[in-house]
Amino acid sequence: MDRRTFLKLAATLCASFGVNGMPGQVVAALKKIDPGTVPKLIYLQGMSCSGCSISLLQADSPSPLAMITDYSQLVFHADLSAVSGKKALGLIDRYIAGEAGEYFLAVEGAIPELMPEACIIGHKPFGQYLEEAAKTMAGAVAIGACACDGGIPAAEGNLTGAVGLKEFYGKRGINKLVVNIRGCSVHPDWVWHTIIHLVKIGVPELINDSPALFFSRKVHELCPRYHDFQQEIFAEKLGDKGCLFKLGCLGPDTYADCPTRWWNSGQTWCVDSNAPCIGCASPGFARKKDFPFYRLAEQDK
Amino acid sequence: MKVDLGPVTRIEGHLNVKTTIENDQIVDAQCMGEMFRGFEVILRGRDPLDAQQITQRICGVCPYAHAIASSYAQENAYGLQVPPNGRIMHNLIQGANHLYDYLLHFYQLSALDFVDVTSILKYTGKDADLRKIKEWVQAEFASGKAYPGAPFLPRLNGCYIVDDELNIGALKHYVEAMEIQKKANRAATVFGGKFPHATAIFPGGCTQDARIDLIATYQSFIRETREFIHSRYIPDIVAVAENFPEYWHIGASKGGFLSYGLLPLSAERNSGRLLAPGVLQGGMVKPVDYGLITQDVGHAKYSSPSGLKISESSLTPDPAKKGAYTWTKAPRYDGRVMEVGPAARILVDYHAGGNKTVKGLVDTYAAMFGITADNLNSVLGRHLCRAVNAVVIADFLLEESERIDPGGKTMADIVVPATAEGYGVTEASRGALLHYIRIADYKIAAYECVVPTTWNASPRDDKGQPGTMESALVGTKVADPEDQIEAVRIIHSFDPCIACSVH
Repeated sequence: MDRRTFLKLAATLCASFGVNGMPGQVVAALKKIDPGTVPKLIYLQGMSCSGCSISLLQADSPSPLAMITDYSQLVFHADLSAVSGKKALGLIDRYIAGEAGEYFLAVEGAIPELMPEACIIGHKPFGQYLEEAAKTMAGAVAIGACACDGGIPAAEGNLTGAVGLKEFYGKRGINKLVVNIRGCSVHPDWVWHTIIHLVKIGVPELINDSPALFFSRKVHELCPRYHDFQQEIFAEKLGDKGCLFKLGCLGPDTYADCPTRWWNSGQTWCVDSNAPCIGCASPGFARKKDFPFYRLAEQDK
Repeated sequence: MKVDLGPVTRIEGHLNVKTTIENDQIVDAQCMGEMFRGFEVILRGRDPLDAQQITQRICGVCPYAHAIASSYAQENAYGLQVPPNGRIMHNLIQGANHLYDYLLHFYQLSALDFVDVTSILKYTGKDADLRKIKEWVQAEFASGKAYPGAPFLPRLNGCYIVDDELNIGALKHYVEAMEIQKKANRAATVFGGKFPHATAIFPGGCTQDARIDLIATYQSFIRETREFIHSRYIPDIVAVAENFPEYWHIGASKGGFLSYGLLPLSAERNSGRLLAPGVLQGGMVKPVDYGLITQDVGHAKYSSPSGLKISESSLTPDPAKKGAYTWTKAPRYDGRVMEVGPAARILVDYHAGGNKTVKGLVDTYAAMFGITADNLNSVLGRHLCRAVNAVVIADFLLEESERIDPGGKTMADIVVPATAEGYGVTEASRGALLHYIRIADYKIAAYECVVPTTWNASPRDDKGQPGTMESALVGTKVADPEDQIEAVRIIHSFDPCIACSVH
């Protein structure tokens, strides 16, 4: 048995019995990443701003380049792929047809449920790729607010009927693994570290379809200004120190580890720059017109 | 024959370009923006202070430009007097974003149009990054997988650089640029809060403190980025220009140039800008009048009226509209087609006699390459102009950061009026960006964004004039009509962003 056949068999067994039931030798082999068998990512963008893709390029350790060569292979991404046009479509189509091997689907952006023409890739509505891929993919990672819940394209009054991947699949009775990683944009660690987990061990512990490692506690609970909240030291206007709750901070309503992880290589994060959390990792982010991000009126009370 | 170039990759978003080829030449091109979200409708009825957050989500590549344009529009509407620190922080954030974007565009989005990645197989040196890439490519080719070397291979047919050493050097810089762009972004986040999508930017300034340690951190990142610009980016552009000199004469757009000017030099309203604003037509620069901007939708998928001024804008999608081929509107200035972007910024400033460094750099490079300023309207011209922008901006940011008053006020006190309207204009990395806000009963009654790629990737207008990029493509000779790498190089030189253009 050559190495590739062995790994393939191991992977199949693994899927049947779970990693924990495997002999140590097999688990060890699975955990060693082989460039020949590294999981392929087909990264498709729907109604997105590419902000999550750009955020993924801000990763530190491992570097973005290591992530897309050592830990996974980014077979297609509209922002990075050398190939375009018909050749690019051919590549995507072969994977989705199940002719080019196993792959994970990475989805950024919402799906225009009521107006399929609002998002087209190569003459075909975005949603159609997702439906077809559901038959062949190993699973999907929904990257960012739009892919998880529709995000800003799904905000009140929108004209396209934007929805997230889970809802899109749910309406079609598709029950494939979808890992939701919220945030507008996502933090690069949230995605890459989930992919590392998928590659090396399997599906990480999930809470409401999101990795528990990043999304099990509220911003408010972890906030370094929680003490200010307890002492009732509140910022009265934008730019003030103290707990930002009275200015509209949505930390008490948002599950994310920003206060301990920080952003951009640990440079800063919203509250550290005196800016209220706007709840971008919440399913209901920016959804309601009469629920503004800021409450400056509080300063008058 | 008709050939679709879409999905065009190494850009932002969903772009198809339908070309018509006769005798190996592009005789017609239609730019098709294929993703619509309807931001202006989503914004209507919301709290005005939501706008600088919501509009950043138009584009995750240049979100700060939208935050700044929205902040300017709201400052204009609220009548805010911005404290000097606030304006400086806006500049520091936005300028750093330009630097990252130019590097990302040249290395990650454009380099693979010119550089032959397979040269790495001939690498015999000791550089750890390059050895790793070589081993990776070798393993890929030996793996028997369907698409070895993805996403860097497969690629379009075409002539790439033949000098292995140059290719290998460029690959090394591709890897380095991925690290440096993070540094430029970290600089921006020192005051912006995070990237993408900053939460610390507001009309009237920034919530972040004017702290001396933050200024020093900011400067450190900008110095590192500046060093890369001078030691890698500029020599690499020169190398591409030496290998592809024909591209000084390929991809010229056929209209005028529009720039709103970049980075205000003081907190005073209507202060001068680091790069001067103006409309350039036939060698003459005139001041910009927003009242002369209209947007046609004859060929765009909207049933709302065509030719409306910014303050009258309207948005009713009609996906099945006859004769419409894109979601991008067709903005026109006084009825004329305009190119916006790095070349427009440099050409407008150059002809307006604005920034002396710009003039010096343009004249130096023109002499070096045996071209004139007119040749900046080309594929290579746009690449070179980004680098000129980068040089001027990086130096400015180091000086500007010294002007922060440590401990001083960084924000105006915001009071949103019941009724108001305002315009905000700036230059995103991709060009002229305008936001317009109208407020009624404390809510957004109307919001309009006219975005750089709306200009550049616009369809025909109602008079039948092709858009900027369309006009730049027509007349181009293509060696392989199926792949059309020449057309792709032209498109990439504009750095189109479809999320922006349609929004």
